[in-house]
Amino acid sequence: MRRSGFGRWVVAIPMCLLALATIYPMVFTLNVAMKSRREYVLDRFSLADHLTAANIADAWNSSGLGRYTFNSVLVTAGSVALLLLLGSMAGYAFSQLTFRGRRWLFLVCLGALMIPFQVIMVPFFRVLGQIHLLDTHVGLILAYTGQFLPFTIFLMTSFYSRIPAEIVEAARVDGSTTLGVYRRIMLPLGRPALLSVGILNALFCWNDVLISLLVMQSEQHRTLMVGVTALRGQYSDNIPLFAGGVLVAALPVIAIYLFFQRQITDGVTAGSTKG
Amino acid sequence: MAVPAARRTTAARRWHLSEHKIAALVLVTPALLIIVGLRIVPLVLGAQYSLTGDGDRNGLFVGLANYRTLLDDPVFRTALRNVGLLFLALPVAVAVPGLLATFLFLKVPGHRFYRSVYFFPVVLSPVIIGAIFNILLSFDGPLNQLLGKAGIAPVDWLGNSHIAILSVIGVHVWATFGMALVIFMAGFSTLDQSLLDAARCDGATLPQTVWHVVIPELSRTIQFVFVTTMIGMLTGMFGLVYVMTAGGPGGATYLPEFYIWVTQGQMNSPALASAASMVLFVLMLLVGLAQIRLIKRATKEV
Repeated sequence: MRRSGFGRWVVAIPMCLLALATIYPMVFTLNVAMKSRREYVLDRFSLADHLTAANIADAWNSSGLGRYTFNSVLVTAGSVALLLLLGSMAGYAFSQLTFRGRRWLFLVCLGALMIPFQVIMVPFFRVLGQIHLLDTHVGLILAYTGQFLPFTIFLMTSFYSRIPAEIVEAARVDGSTTLGVYRRIMLPLGRPALLSVGILNALFCWNDVLISLLVMQSEQHRTLMVGVTALRGQYSDNIPLFAGGVLVAALPVIAIYLFFQRQITDGVTAGSTKG
Repeated sequence: MAVPAARRTTAARRWHLSEHKIAALVLVTPALLIIVGLRIVPLVLGAQYSLTGDGDRNGLFVGLANYRTLLDDPVFRTALRNVGLLFLALPVAVAVPGLLATFLFLKVPGHRFYRSVYFFPVVLSPVIIGAIFNILLSFDGPLNQLLGKAGIAPVDWLGNSHIAILSVIGVHVWATFGMALVIFMAGFSTLDQSLLDAARCDGATLPQTVWHVVIPELSRTIQFVFVTTMIGMLTGMFGLVYVMTAGGPGGATYLPEFYIWVTQGQMNSPALASAASMVLFVLMLLVGLAQIRLIKRATKEV
């Protein structure tokens, strides 16, 4: 189905324009972050006089972005580690072991996929308060783990169900216990899926604002995305500085996207083409 | 080893069986505890809270009073009307990436590049997207400056109560169409090439091929995209609303999720917020009926 000549360009030109429309807001923000306040007020679109990270550095230094970044890194790392551990354990059990109630329990996990955080927010807040985990890193890690575990289990189960039973059998004959198989076979063989799910979960946790707003109430425990929402009021009269802060928060995600684009798209499409 | 072979295997099997069961328990229990404790129990508690009162009547059973209050609350009604707008936007949010994926599949030059570019906003936080568009769409911002150069009067993209919600929805669609696009492309990659070749041999035009081959073959993918896109709209726009308009002007850009958050926190009416949560959950369930079918199909494979 290769269309030639004219027809090809009729579709290529709008697609090119759309690509520009997709990328331009980011390029614009980058340009604004390089400008001085005066330059921006005079002309929104002019190219920055010179390449400078002054606004980015100022935004970093004059607000709590450093502390917020630390909180985000800590909570994201903790959540991803817990998600991968629990998700791969359950995924292995659901895909390779037979036990009573397996299908039913798997259905419970998948059913939880349909409960968005917004729906359980109020009781979640109360329960977290009762166990004294509000406004703590552990509380937020638990919240993220609860939120993204069903998805993680779903992906790990479908990945592990493609591992042939012979491999598991062979390890058993060699004297591995069931848990030994998890450690010696499932974890190493699951690496591509763990990488993909891990990166996706890292993005989810890093990008979240609703759960973080709810759980983390003191300024010192804010995560980076919540910090960015606060920048808006702080720098409302200095757009270039605001753009610098936004860029700081976006940079890690942009870097991850550049390196792991394939893992990300593989992960989000994994549930779509089955069956 | 003096143990007779027969006895050894029975003993091994017995050990194996129980070891196997204990292992399954060890592997599944932590995950289930978290899912049941942090998602299913709160769901049940939320349904219960929604039937109790706020303030002085905290904890007292009030029947459906909260739901009645919700329906009388003009802000919540605006939120529901905005959900209606989301449903209206849904066909566009599905058709545009579907069309783009079709073009990319037919190998427009540089399709890999386009895919990377289109998907890029999906990985950015709604907070980042919202902040960027806050700059772009502000009244004295660049977009209005551009319009001014073209002789068009400035538009108050985020400050006009009729336009603001359309701006927010537009930005959401802009930021997430790449998601639907990659799902469509994954569907296309499962498409049987020989069907397309046969269609071409029969002299089918492009619209005919799309209508008679691509759409029927990809019906499941299309269904999946409809469901995930709508769920994304119902549960993924909080960050945008929070950053771009904070629900304003005059409550015009409220969505159920934003209403729940404000009612729970600032208004300190958790029971009323729980009732709104249940309304959102029912909306999700209606959308998710299709998803349940997809899940059933997935569990059969396990």
